[in-house]
Parts: sequence; structure tokens; C-alpha cells
Amino acid sequence: MIAIGLESSANKLGVGIIRHPDDGSTPQVLSNVRHTYVTPPGEGFLPKDTARHHRAWVVKLVKKALREARVLPRDIDCVCFTKGPGMGAPLQSAAITARMLSLLWGKELVGVNHCVGHIEMGRLITGATNPVVLYVSGGNTQVIAYSSQRYRIFGETLDIAVGNCLDRFARTLHISNDPAPGYNIEQLAKKGKRLVDLPYTVKGMDISMSGILAAIDGLAVQYGLDGEGKDDEEDDASSEKPTRADLCFSLQETIYSMLVEITERAMAHVGSKEVLIVGGVGCNERLQEMMGIMARDRGGTVHATDERFCIDNGIMIAQAGLLAYKAGVPTPLKESTCTQRFRTDDVFVKWRD
Amino acid sequence: MELITQGAEAHLYKTTYLTPSTPAALKIRPSKPYRHPILDRRLTRQRVLQEARCLVRLVREGVNVPAVLAVDWELRDNSSSGGEANGNGNGYAAGAGNGAWILMEWIDGVMLKEVFRAWEGYVKSRTGLSDAEREGEEGKVKCLLRRIGVAVGLLHKAGVVHGDLTTSNLILKSQAAQTNGVDGDGDGKGEVGTVSPHMEGEIVLIDFGLASQSIQDEDRAVDLYVLERAFGSTHPRTERFFGEVLEGYRGSYRGAGSVMKRLEDVRMRGRKRSMIG
Amino acid sequence: MAASLLETIHLAHLPPSMPVHVAVYRDVQNAPFLRQQLLAANAEFEYAFIDASVVLSRTHLLSAVFRAVNDSMNGRLKSRNVHSEIVFSLNPTTNIAESFRKFGITDSTKDLLVVKVSVTPEITHDSVAAHLGQHVEGSPVPFDDETLAKIADVAKIKKAYKLGALNTAPPKQANGTQDDGMRRLELSVLGAIALRGAT
Repeated sequence: MIAIGLESSANKLGVGIIRHPDDGSTPQVLSNVRHTYVTPPGEGFLPKDTARHHRAWVVKLVKKALREARVLPRDIDCVCFTKGPGMGAPLQSAAITARMLSLLWGKELVGVNHCVGHIEMGRLITGATNPVVLYVSGGNTQVIAYSSQRYRIFGETLDIAVGNCLDRFARTLHISNDPAPGYNIEQLAKKGKRLVDLPYTVKGMDISMSGILAAIDGLAVQYGLDGEGKDDEEDDASSEKPTRADLCFSLQETIYSMLVEITERAMAHVGSKEVLIVGGVGCNERLQEMMGIMARDRGGTVHATDERFCIDNGIMIAQAGLLAYKAGVPTPLKESTCTQRFRTDDVFVKWRD
Repeated sequence: MELITQGAEAHLYKTTYLTPSTPAALKIRPSKPYRHPILDRRLTRQRVLQEARCLVRLVREGVNVPAVLAVDWELRDNSSSGGEANGNGNGYAAGAGNGAWILMEWIDGVMLKEVFRAWEGYVKSRTGLSDAEREGEEGKVKCLLRRIGVAVGLLHKAGVVHGDLTTSNLILKSQAAQTNGVDGDGDGKGEVGTVSPHMEGEIVLIDFGLASQSIQDEDRAVDLYVLERAFGSTHPRTERFFGEVLEGYRGSYRGAGSVMKRLEDVRMRGRKRSMIG
Repeated sequence: MAASLLETIHLAHLPPSMPVHVAVYRDVQNAPFLRQQLLAANAEFEYAFIDASVVLSRTHLLSAVFRAVNDSMNGRLKSRNVHSEIVFSLNPTTNIAESFRKFGITDSTKDLLVVKVSVTPEITHDSVAAHLGQHVEGSPVPFDDETLAKIADVAKIKKAYKLGALNTAPPKQANGTQDDGMRRLELSVLGAIALRGAT
């Protein structure tokens, strides 16, 4: 069976085509194309503009995906789209496109939970069977473990997402959004050495990020490191003053420690030795490294994917959608809406034991 | 030293204090090598101290918790050797490694989780209980539940919230814990169902790893809510009597009333949050 | 003199090579002399000289010893040596001078607790017993809870640990007894010792 997936919940527009061979062998990614709406430094992406970008690109991407996959519309079994969570206007671009394709091609629709898409793609790529999942992106921060037909949320952010915190700090420093603000923070952090004191806000299984953002923003202003046209100055080891790199370094060290801590707690709780990191922030090598140290100490392993599958993409929607479709849960046209709020644990995971 | 439990944050051992005949619980928070060393020290120190401070305060206030016997809140650097006495930096007991630790009074008794489990097993297996017997059994468990409520109330009255109230963190200090139908080892594999378990004795609250000093209604209500949910998931046959816990709590200190009102809000709120960044 | 009353104790978790020697004397006649040796930093008199009236029990004293030795082994002494540190360890605050005023020997001390740690192999039960027998003018009594309870000034101890509000009388609820009150006082004191200096 073949599914096409459309993803547009944030600033990435992605289209992917996956094939599940009838003999039950490993699914094949036939194509996975993406176009990102990149804003100038210091600016975030607004829903309206993002949606406009997606609308302008979606037809091109669908055509490109079909071409690369060397399939025709008639080969496709179902059209999958992100139902939520995400930003309203951008979400609608994919939902409307999917409905159109469904009617045009006469194929069934499958609405997919974005978080479940990440989890299923991560499991497919890494081969992790039943891991504790850390899902970290611009809009989501959750520690998830599977139990009786649900992906249950063990811990999550109480306010903003990890990626949102990084993106907004990148804006404060006027760091480029190309290819992604988090990526550029990571590169800058590699030059950082001094750890500045930031709030560390783990609350049981949950974490809170807004106070950390306020604190690091405050430090940037205090040391005159915010705003446009600041070079990444040479580090003066004798100086007490932190550099931009030091701030990025400290921010990463602090929030990634929090993420690893709650993940470890979930692992101890469910007795799992595997961790799977998904979501855009999951590409971060320092996060993967820290998680790896923790997992090794517990006699376990960490699984992560590269930017093709970590960052929002269409193929993960196709994968999760096809699993649902094969388990017999398509989405009738009338219900093919999208929603900004859609909890991971609302999804009935019929395709797993 | 005998390892009792190993969680994500800490390892708990049974050991001795000062003399070989004084049992003690040693809770070690090992260094977390994934963290930046400065952050690791800061956090470990903060948490060990927070837990110890809560316990010391509660002992002073007369709340039933394990007393703190000794604390070491510094993570040791493996590379340094600053000891005056014997020139090694390992200091304390080999088992503590480079972790920070709290040495506490050893509490002899049974986890309430096991008591309830044994009771539920007993009631379930005795289908032939007469009404009077059943009433007697229920009276017994209700009394225990009320005492739990009082224990939590006194904890809150003393200005501390527990942060992780479950029936595993409540101990029934019993004179003869081993012989009353509950497996004293707490592994739950003991014979269950033949005898109705003993429910007399003081209730001791343990594991203050997530505790903090607070007198906020919100924090107190969350404590009760967490306990309520723990009953729901762990003791389905006892859950319907949870009102007794709240009854006991209500009468245990001034201010319990407004916490109970807040509990309603907390219940309504549950865990459903939007996930928008 | 009855040097045999010097007790040598191996504390759990401390190296077996470092036993602790403890003696108690009542009716001490030469407190000013002993104190003078401390002030003069006479190396032969490197002891922890403690006013026994501010010590509740064996556990109380030994907890302070335990803390001092542990701090010493980790290179964290705040005072001159492990013996002065024992006196300091009895104190709930980080003021060293105050700790000596409150817990150390004074010229008027009548009941004296002496502690010596075998920090070198030359310090043995016999060497300590002989030296103390020679220099302390007082009646040796056993280092046990019964004796310490007779000497202890509970009001003074409560004041020293700022536990004045602590009720050592039988509590109203449950089956509380006088013993419970004293036990609570002792445990509160242990907590204060354990947490001294925590910031």
C-alpha cells in the first residue's frame, strides 16, 4: 500500500510518500520533500504569512513528491494530513489540499496527530520497539510512553515548548533563521565555555521554560548582547562578561539537562531502557549526547533520527496515516477538519498491541 | 550495605549509623555525568538540602517522618584528594561514591500499598463474609484512611508539601509487621488473602525527594489530588472510601477547609492542557 | 586514676584505623588549666573538651564527632583540627567562637566530656587514657546515656539549639510520653548538627 502525507502545522511544508510492501517487509520512503518558510533574523513566523507560503508551494511540492517517488495518483491508497496540533492557518493549508486531492483522486482521507506522526516515524527509522519518547520541537515538549493503545504523556512543558524558547532567544540575539534558529544556536553554543546561572525548573515530571527564557533574555540585554549587528566576539577568558556563545551554551546545557532528567524519570517509572528522541530539537547533537550518557548509565540506548525525519516532514504523516488506514481508521470527509489543540493521548492507537 | 531501591534520582540503602546496631537509611544522589559539572553540583546540593531541610523541620514540628542523622551535600570530585586525615577524597562510606547523601532514621514497618493490597486481596477472597464482618473490615480500613488524612494534614500544617504522595510513601510502623498478613519485605509476594492485615500503628511519611516548604492552598491541594489518583490507580477496592482520607484531613488543622475547596478546582483542571507553544 | 573508663569506639562508616576515644569526668577541678592548654595551642592537649551539660546523649555527641571526622576526611575543616571541629560541629550555626563559648570547656566547667580521634597510629586507647589520667582532675564516669542524662541541662540545650518552642512534655495526642518529647529533642538536635552551614 502507498500513502501520501501532507504536513503544514508550523513553518515547514512537507509532502512524503511511503510504501508498505504487501509482504510485510520494511516500509520504503519513496519521497520526502519539504519547503521551509524562513523569516528574517529577529522575526518569528506569523500564522497568516506562513499559511500564504504553504498555499503557494503545496501544489509544487505534491507534484515533486509524486515525481521523485515515481508513482501516479492511482497508485496511492490514502491521502494523509496533519489534523493537529499546530497553528490554525498553516494547518488548514494541508487539510484543504488533502481534501482536494481526496476528491480529485477518489482516495480516502486519514487525519493524523502530528505528535503521533513523529513517534511512528522515529520508531520506523530507528527500529526502537517500545521506547520512552522525548518529543521536542518548536511547539511541543513531551515525554511519552506507550501503554494499552495510547501514547501516554508522562511529562510535558507547563508553558512554552523547548524549541519555542530557543527560537525566541535566537530572535533576541538576531541569529539567522536559516536553516533554523535552533541549528544556529547549537553552532554558536559549541564556542561557549562559561555556564551562567539560569533557573532550573523541573516540577515533578513536568518542566517550565518561560522563566528561563526571561532570564536569558535579561542577561543578553544586561550585557548588551541583544539586537542586530552584534558580532560573535572573541572570547576573553579573563573577562567576567559572558559572550553570546556562552549564553547559547548555558541555555542549551540547562534546558537539555531538564529534558534528560524527566526522560530518565519516565524510564525508571515504566522500566524501559530505550529512548527515542523526535521533533526538530531532536536533531541537536548535544541533546543526543547527553541523552546517550544517561541511557548508557542505565544500561540502555538512545535512538535519534537526522534532520530528514526529525524536523517536520510529510513522510511521518504518511507513515502514521497508513498505519491507521491499515488498521481501519480512515477519516470521513465530514470529519477531515484540523484543530490547533489535539493531545497525543487522545489518539486511539489501534495498530499497536 | 543493602540496596533497597534504585530510582532515577537516588539510590536507597539500608545501613547503620554510629553503631552496628542502629539501622539507618542512606539515600545517595549520585552525580549525573550528562550534566555540566557546575550545574550538577548546584542541583544535587539544592535537592539534598531541600529534602533534608523539610525533614528536619518536620521532626521539630513533631510530624512522623524519618529523622535526619547526617547529610553531605557536596558532590565529591573524583580527581581531588583533600583529606587531612587519610589523604583520600572519598571520605564517607565507599558505597556513597562521589554522590551527595542523606543518612536517615530507619523506619521499620510496612508500606501502606502492601497493607491495602493485602486487605483488598482478603476481602476479595472472602466472598462468604457476613454483613457484620464486612462492616467490621470496612470500618477498619476507613479508620486507617482517616489516619492517613490526619498525617497529611499535620504535614501541611507544619508548612511542608510532599510532592509525591502515594501509598508507597506511607509506612505503617507496626509492632509486628511481619506477622500480620502482609509481607514485611514489601515485595508483595507474601501470602495475601488468608488473614485480614493489621492496621494499627503510627503512619510515617517517607521519601521527601520532591517535597518543598509551602503553605499555598494550591500546592497542598495538589498533594491530596496526587494521593487520590494514586488510590484510583493502585487500590481500586479502597478508592471508594477515599472520602475518609479527606475527612481526616479536614479535621486536622485550620485551613484544611480552603484546601479542600481548592482540591475541587484541581480535580476539574486535571491534566488537560493545550499544547500550543 | 580510673583510666579504664575511657571508651574507644569504632564509628560506622569511618575508617577502622580511626577509632574515637571518649571519657566523661564529673566534678572536674582543673578546668581553667585544661582550657589554658587549648588557648595556648599546646599540641599535647589537642582534645575536644566539651562541657557535658550541653550534651543530651551518646548519639548527640557521636553525631558531632561523625560530622567533624567526615568533614575532615573531605578536606572541609572550618577550624584548626578535627578536635576543635568536634566542638564546632555541636553548634547549629557557623560561628566558631560562639561554638566554643556554648559547647566548649569553660573555667567553671564541672562535668567534662573529652574526645580524641586516632588521627595518627601513635594515638591509642592506652596513650590517651594515660595522658588524661595524668592531667584531668575529676571523677571518671561511664560514657552512657544514663550518666549523660543526669548531667544534661535540657533548658540550656534547647536554648543553644534555638528549640525553645519545642515541647518536651508529653504531647496531647496519641500515646505520647515524656520519652517521646526527649526523643524529639534529640532528633531535632541531630538535624541541626547535620544541616549546619547549609546555605
